[in-house]
Amino acid sequence: MNIDEIFDNTSFTIDREAHIVLNYEICTGCDNRGCVNSCPARCYTWSQEEQKMTFVHDGCLECGTCYVVCHKNAFTRWRYPRGGFGVAYRMT
Amino acid sequence: MSKNYQAIVIGAGPAGSSAALTMARAGLDVALVERGSFPGEKNMFGGLLHRMPSLEKIFPDFWERAPLERHIIKKGVTFMTGDSSFSTTIEAGSFDKPPYNGYTVFRPRFDRWLAEEAVAAGATLITSSTVDQIVLKNGKIAGVTILGRSGQLNAPVLVAADGVLSFTALKAGLRKPTFDPAQMAVGVKALIDMPREMIDERFGLVRDQGFANEFVGCTEGVRGGGCFYTNYDSLSLGLVFHLASLRTSGKTPYDLLNAFMEQPQVAKMISGGRLLEYSAHLIPEGGYDMIPELVGDGIIVAGDAAAFCNATGLNLEGINLASHSGVVAGEAVIAAHRAGDFSKQGLTAYKKLLDESFVIKDLKQARNAPHMLHNNRIYHEYPEMMCNFMENIYKIEGIPKQNVTKLFLKSAREKVGLGNLLADGFSAWRSL
Repeated sequence: MNIDEIFDNTSFTIDREAHIVLNYEICTGCDNRGCVNSCPARCYTWSQEEQKMTFVHDGCLECGTCYVVCHKNAFTRWRYPRGGFGVAYRMT
Repeated sequence: MSKNYQAIVIGAGPAGSSAALTMARAGLDVALVERGSFPGEKNMFGGLLHRMPSLEKIFPDFWERAPLERHIIKKGVTFMTGDSSFSTTIEAGSFDKPPYNGYTVFRPRFDRWLAEEAVAAGATLITSSTVDQIVLKNGKIAGVTILGRSGQLNAPVLVAADGVLSFTALKAGLRKPTFDPAQMAVGVKALIDMPREMIDERFGLVRDQGFANEFVGCTEGVRGGGCFYTNYDSLSLGLVFHLASLRTSGKTPYDLLNAFMEQPQVAKMISGGRLLEYSAHLIPEGGYDMIPELVGDGIIVAGDAAAFCNATGLNLEGINLASHSGVVAGEAVIAAHRAGDFSKQGLTAYKKLLDESFVIKDLKQARNAPHMLHNNRIYHEYPEMMCNFMENIYKIEGIPKQNVTKLFLKSAREKVGLGNLLADGFSAWRSL
């Protein structure tokens, strides 16, 4: 399982409108950032150099891990994608 | 779009579809709202479908009717450390005779089937619709707004079966605004394509027989475990991690899954297969202590949304609890319609019926299991001890042997510590 190839293995209908929106300032001040390693889809990346969090919702598996591990409540929005969008499991 | 119903069920998983089915069969005009483009599209599952008492009652031919995969005749547990593992399996004659004890199942097919049964009974299925807000009228629940398809659905009562994070229960004030990572786990899974004959031959199966295995010690010290299931012509291989442990480990689920797939004994199980799908989902593992408020004015919470998941270590149950809670939720809504009372009081039949059922009784009995499973030694030291002990038993090196008790104590002392062994044994005995 190569996480770089997630789009080859799992189907998505990507919504242009992100279903998760972060206040990055909170992430910069976070002492844990458990989201970065815990997210099974590697949607969160932290740049130590730039002291900056990047989040991409495209390959989100809608598992809910970040919603639970974030103890700073950095989300200005956390909901599931609009109906019909997001991950589409075929046989799991 | 604005439509009026007698009840709205949010989420077409096993809880929601069971609720909608129950209500529709009693003649209620019920909407079953699903955010996926079909029911089951958003489901992720790494488990077995065990006996389904409530659905078996509704469908006497449930086992012929439902789309299932293999029935499990062989169950194993593997203790793993590095490139060694120690396994035990049970293959029981009774597991191979109907009624079977457990099946593997594909949720996109199963959930779709169950929702279609609800539709056949008269429910209205509304797909591609994520419920957004609860609509109130004069302070009472009057419906929901949806995203995807746009509009509003009206009904005096809701069944929140919208899964583990249940935003509906949150908006109704029934669940706490934050979750405790100690009560949640995340599962990741690889679905691996493999010809049926190859699976039969490799795992010693005939007809529709299946094999399921659990693993401990395969998570590099992160609290969690692994699971393996045979489907007709694919394998499911997954790992589950407690979030409180994962978030501070610095390790990633996909790297751990890769390492697991490359462990020599696991690699042999899946060799020749091809990765078809990668999936992930949360599991509410907090048990009885995690259950939210189950009933409010105009609303009932069921399934994963109500944390109805019984994960005691060796058995993982969820679908059966979800489905039963859905049926009972449906019955409570039917009673509320008869009495014309959708208040919390009018819906309390739900709690009463659940309290009397295996759902609450089993969760109550296993109440301490989640705490016991927070012992880090289970995931690292004990598997190491077991493998070390068995390795020493089988080693024949031409030097005088130590007796088995001494060998065991040696492994236990080195890997776990005798005091820990006694304390952990006592706490395991108390909680199970």
